Amino acid sequence: MEKKPSKQSSPRPSFGKVLQKSSLSFAAMAPLLLGVIGLVGLFQVLVTPTMLASMFRDNPFIDTLIGTLAGAAASGNPVVSYLLGGELLSQGISLYAVTAFILSWVTLGFTQLPAEVEVFGGRFTLYRNILAFVFTILIAILTTITVQVLS
Amino acid sequence: MKKQNKPSKNIDKPFTFRGKYLLCIVALIYVLLFVIDSQSALLALQKGSKVLLKILPIFCVVIVCTALINYFLKPKQIAKHLGHDSGAKGWLWALLGGVISHGPMYAWYPLFEDLRRHGMKDALIAVFFASRTIKIPLLPIMIDYFGLTFTIILSCYILIGALIQGALLEMFGTQKET
Repeated sequence: MEKKPSKQSSPRPSFGKVLQKSSLSFAAMAPLLLGVIGLVGLFQVLVTPTMLASMFRDNPFIDTLIGTLAGAAASGNPVVSYLLGGELLSQGISLYAVTAFILSWVTLGFTQLPAEVEVFGGRFTLYRNILAFVFTILIAILTTITVQVLS
Repeated sequence: MKKQNKPSKNIDKPFTFRGKYLLCIVALIYVLLFVIDSQSALLALQKGSKVLLKILPIFCVVIVCTALINYFLKPKQIAKHLGHDSGAKGWLWALLGGVISHGPMYAWYPLFEDLRRHGMKDALIAVFFASRTIKIPLLPIMIDYFGLTFTIILSCYILIGALIQGALLEMFGTQKET
């Protein structure tokens, strides 16, 4: 019986080669990531928690917007947003604003915008950030209403 | 009409540093800040270094993940699992990946740039980034601060919201631009 000629595919490169290639493509992005980390350092010093907390007014609607923008301007470990959020709640700031704040802390970020545009393009970055902004507010409102209804 | 998964043919790009201008601008801001307020500039530099040290392990994970994906999966397979014809499985992978991923969002950019070049659709990238708000290791702290009911409700809305954001992004058709 004749053997069917199998399709010739290029031999798989060794894992070492693939790892080297991944490291190189990552290294190419090093200045971009270092730039973002530099911005994070600047924002952590210039945008202090006290400054963020002082931005809130006692209006749930405006505070939700402020919470979203403040979360986007802040950077650092999300635990800090929980601590700050807890503080804001005890100061009488609405749950709408605090929820928006802790959500946008992770999904939105002014510091990472230049890198996002460079990597994914302006169109993707614009749409993703607009959607994240709108959904942060929507989720904050829905969560607060649901919690209030349930309790 | 369904879009076809077309992994980019020209996958090997020549080595060039990216973000040089951003790094230069940030360095310039540091120099200016150092002239105006040297203490703040040093503190910012210190905080930035701490962030870098903290996310170095995540960078290593991203490099190894990229290598493993490229080693075991061909671009066609990536497009099959995460591309336009990936179906519900692709959405679930993106959702799960976002929930279990750790570290800042920008640490994952290199991996997603690679996956996107191999055919991953933009909607799934949006789902991944949106679902990252759920941080499994931090859930006990969130429960402690805001209560169990709040944490469960918020997490559910985040997951639903992430899927809707992905669907809307797909509708807007960002994939045209690469």
